[in-house]
Amino acid sequence: MTLTLLTLAIRDFRNLARVDLAVPAAGLVLVGPNGHGKTNLLEAIHYLHVLRSVRGARDADLVRFGAEAFHVAAQAQGGAVDDVRIGFARAAKRKKVMLDGVEAERLADAFGALPSVMFSPRDVELVAGPPTERRRFVDIALATTSRRYLTALQRYRAALVRRNATLREVLRRGTSDGATRVAVWEPALAEAGATLWCARVRWSRWAAPRLGALCAAIGERERVTLEYHTSLAVDPAGEADETHVREQLAAALERDRGQDLRRSLTHSGPHRDDITLKLGGRALRSFGSAGQQRTSAIALRLLERETLCEQAGRAPLVLLDDPFAELDVDRARQILRMLGDGAPGQTFLVVPRGDDVPDAYTALSRHTIRDGVLDA
Amino acid sequence: MSVIDELAGELSKLPGIGRKTALRLTYHLLKQPRERSIRLARALETLAERVHPCQTCFNPTEDAECAICRDPRRDAAVLCAVEEAADIGAIERAGEFRGRYHVLGGRISPLDGVGPEDLTVSELERRVAGGAVTEVIVATNPSVEGEATALYLQQVLAPHVARVTRIARGLPVGGDLEYADGITIAQALSARREMP
Repeated sequence: MTLTLLTLAIRDFRNLARVDLAVPAAGLVLVGPNGHGKTNLLEAIHYLHVLRSVRGARDADLVRFGAEAFHVAAQAQGGAVDDVRIGFARAAKRKKVMLDGVEAERLADAFGALPSVMFSPRDVELVAGPPTERRRFVDIALATTSRRYLTALQRYRAALVRRNATLREVLRRGTSDGATRVAVWEPALAEAGATLWCARVRWSRWAAPRLGALCAAIGERERVTLEYHTSLAVDPAGEADETHVREQLAAALERDRGQDLRRSLTHSGPHRDDITLKLGGRALRSFGSAGQQRTSAIALRLLERETLCEQAGRAPLVLLDDPFAELDVDRARQILRMLGDGAPGQTFLVVPRGDDVPDAYTALSRHTIRDGVLDA
Repeated sequence: MSVIDELAGELSKLPGIGRKTALRLTYHLLKQPRERSIRLARALETLAERVHPCQTCFNPTEDAECAICRDPRRDAAVLCAVEEAADIGAIERAGEFRGRYHVLGGRISPLDGVGPEDLTVSELERRVAGGAVTEVIVATNPSVEGEATALYLQQVLAPHVARVTRIARGLPVGGDLEYADGITIAQALSARREMP
């Protein structure tokens, strides 16, 4: 099944004061100079997927300057829900999500309801950036497709910030039972952490051959590999048994407790793991050329799309933020062909100039944007 | 500031009461018979002046010890540790528990700067160290912080008491399996039991 937006309404989101769009089934192209709000439109659509900024901005910073609140609403077909409305009020610091007219009890209920994948020039950070970028990538792909993963992720983060706060407090005040105070957070970390670890390892094994094939199809001649990199004494290539991983994680937390107390930091756990990408056996992060890194980053986004298709059973929206700007013509053409293969999905393409629209998308209905205002 | 604004201001500091509700309550008090408002004021005054934590279990009471601690029919060998006094009401309504309580006054919450020393943990330790207590049931909430608090209690109480137990987690009675979240179901599965 393919997810399709029918209408999109945006109020006071970044520089977009008011947008009301009837969206054609195939999607649309938005043309406008840099800094006029093209990416903001894609960010708003992506907000319907993960309920937060794809660029990592705080909700309060998404409210248009001078406004009190932002709203993003869409009607859709082929999704888990037909109508999603999200509002955030700066003063109340409160996010309200309505799904088919009913307020969501938990934000988690709305997570991944209208899935989308965003391709952007910033994606090169997925490959060239620090491990945080790759953990965030895999966490979003898995949390939007598995409620169990999302719950474990929330629990893990809750326990982690509390253990770290306890470490700092113990260091500051030097209480005699410091080790006990720290240890009480560890069962939750081990339990939720094992769920995250096993799901990530399973995903990595599923993803590795696909990523290699995607990169080859785009035109990469050397072999691209993907591996889950962990400090845990469990082989990611073996069968992931959650009970065993939990025990190993609990043991690692106990072993490192002394070091953790000295440095006020939790040293072991999935929050320190990474996804290692290699090209011909060498780290893409340090040895890949700019073009190779860009190709792999686009392949990772294609992989995210496959994950969503496979896990959620529907093709997500495709958001293209001038993604081919620095690619040679052949590679760009390959990627477009791959996006078009199979279920293409509704596409939202933004480019700075009309000439930048690839042939494949010239048939899409075209809008222009200037100072946050779309033409009628 | 007018008296009306002052009262509305005080009411809006209460949990779950916003500015609008506070004003509505204030005008409601104005409209109702005088005596009723005065009764409410006296009850508030008495509450503030006479009610204080029980010296043994920290349940609010007007006396030195609360009614449960004074009741000779309640089993003094079994204590149930709860986060807040309001939790006692919930357990009492179930009518199953015949032991006594200990109100912790919250839970370990490092992000709010609440550590074990800010709770009544050392008082509970002293109570248990007397030797008359055979079991402490830890009934903190099944949240990340409630679980950590339970573990901490287990660590400090274990040397003093034969049994430290934790209330079970799992599916609610009358609930629907389909709507339970993954962690609850996992808990319910791991804590499964033989059928008689």
